[in-house]
Amino acid sequence: MAFSLFGILAVILEAIRPFLWLIAAVVVIELLVLFRLLGRRGHAWRKALRPALLLGGVVMVVAVFIGPWLTSAGFADLVGLLDWLSLIGGSIAAGLVAALLFWPLLTLVGGRRA
Amino acid sequence: MKDRNLDLQSGRRQFLKAAGLGSLALGAASSGLVVSRPAQALSTRARIVIVGAGAAGIAAANRFSRELNGAEIIIIDKRERHLYQPGLTLVATGLWKPGKVIDRNDRYMPSNVRWIHDMVSEFDPEANQVTTGSGERIDYDFLLVSTGLTVDFDAVEGMSPELIGQHGIGCVYDNPEHASRTWTMIDQFLTTGGVGLFTRGPGGIKCAGAPLKVTMLTEDLARRRGQRDAVSMVYNSPSEGLFSQPDMDQFLKQEFPSRDIAINWNHRLVGIEPELKRATFATPNGEQRIDYDFIHVVPPMRAPDPLGNSALAWQDGPFADDGNWMEVDRATLQHARFPNVFGAGDCVGTPIGKTAASVKAQVPVAVENMLAIIQGREPVSQYDGYTSCPLITGQGRGILVEFDYALNMVPSFPFINPYREHWVPWVMKDRMLLPAYNAMLRGRI
Ligand SMILES: Cc1cc2nc3c(=O)[nH]c(=O)nc-3n(C[C@H](O)[C@H](O)[C@H](O)COP(=O)(O)OP(=O)(O)OC[C@H]3O[C@@H](n4cnc5c(N)ncnc54)[C@H](O)[C@@H]3O)c2cc1C
Repeated sequence: MAFSLFGILAVILEAIRPFLWLIAAVVVIELLVLFRLLGRRGHAWRKALRPALLLGGVVMVVAVFIGPWLTSAGFADLVGLLDWLSLIGGSIAAGLVAALLFWPLLTLVGGRRA
Repeated sequence: MKDRNLDLQSGRRQFLKAAGLGSLALGAASSGLVVSRPAQALSTRARIVIVGAGAAGIAAANRFSRELNGAEIIIIDKRERHLYQPGLTLVATGLWKPGKVIDRNDRYMPSNVRWIHDMVSEFDPEANQVTTGSGERIDYDFLLVSTGLTVDFDAVEGMSPELIGQHGIGCVYDNPEHASRTWTMIDQFLTTGGVGLFTRGPGGIKCAGAPLKVTMLTEDLARRRGQRDAVSMVYNSPSEGLFSQPDMDQFLKQEFPSRDIAINWNHRLVGIEPELKRATFATPNGEQRIDYDFIHVVPPMRAPDPLGNSALAWQDGPFADDGNWMEVDRATLQHARFPNVFGAGDCVGTPIGKTAASVKAQVPVAVENMLAIIQGREPVSQYDGYTSCPLITGQGRGILVEFDYALNMVPSFPFINPYREHWVPWVMKDRMLLPAYNAMLRGRI
């Protein structure tokens, strides 16, 4: 039974529905930060990119290690390419999202210190 | 480690073929995407009555409410709380808290649908009428029956739902409170050790994988607790098979013995003596009594009485004998004798398909065909028997089994091999199926 993109989005919406308030709060904070950073030079953004990627990398590695545990499973339950690719893919996605969220915050903090 | 994977050449060939076709299907689906509804709602003054506000009834109500303009849509069901029944297996094995499967029907009920908080006590399809428990007669132009089924505890002598959670008795098929008490019984059994009997009612039961999952999860927990040697486990099948899909049947027939789960073939649970902790099975060699420390009771199931005793039920044949199931055309889900009546969900008499996954496939077909009839067209949408079961083999692993009337595997996700245990199906069961179920209730998938 194939799922349409509409269907997949509907399932994702249901999955995040209990956390919508949290997601909304994060989005508002990020927007406020972006608003404050309006007009900030590219240099500040570039400077913050490395630590943001580093933090994203840390999140990714942590996600790889705690991923199975978060699902009440263990590494022994990962039995093939599909499982490992899913774990690694999911962790990369978590790392990227974390890096994207940290980047503006680090730009703001870095700018204050400078 | 022993090889617990199926090594079925034909199965693999089928999988590869399905994987190719599935990728194409997925690609095609995602290129036409996003818009999954007609641009314009159908204008009609028809009165549509839906009986039963479970998975199928609510999903249908949401679809009708979006696809119709001016229609009077009525749904009848006394039950206020909504149970995510596929989660009961996880509650009964201590993996989920009961609260996770309890929701409210009103959260999913469309505002333009009138909800009558009562039960239908009589169906009168000749008069296009249903009667509720309070005696109200409700006329309809079109009827969708989605009453689910009745778990026939009385068919097991000495058994009643109140016994669940006492005398070593568990049952996953009742409600979250009883699933939770089942976990107390399993937990005790794993602590004290002894004999565990696992049963399965004969004929059509909802989610036929659930009794198998309870057995395998209990075995897995015993091993994790270092208690495997202290417990002896026996699965009692009422037939000579474990699962209707032949590849899975073969897999399980290897899997159970390899995990030291004994199988009694042709053992149908007919009685229980709770105080003595003794179960009676009907076997080809007469009745057999077996003592137990824990028993998972799975009674037979049938259509709810008001439906099963009505003209809407199969009047003869295997679906009448098995459980007085509702008579529908297995493809269009239209009633064979009353063309303005359709059925969806556990109550219908079709060869397979008493799962929420089937509901997901059936409801769009029933709704589309009813809309066709309303417009005076032929019902052409077809249900192919799709059913699915994430067959959980242990905590953290499972097989995503999806098949159709022909018992062919029809994987939704071409990259998930339906012949192999994986972590991913477990994650789906644990994390994604509840959101998918809720999206189905809202008529979005
Ligand atoms: C333990 C367990 C595990 C399961 N696991 C899975 C799984 O892993 N995957 C899967 O896909 N499916 C699974 N299922 C099956 C799935 O939950 C059902 O197939 C699905 O809920 C059927 O939907 P339904 O609408 O037909 O019935 P239900 O959801 O049971 O709803 C029926 C509704 O009809 C109402 N009703 C009954 N009689 C009347 C009447 N006379 N008048 C008015 N209303 C009436 C009832 O109150 C109820 O609200 C499982 C089920 C159980 C119990």
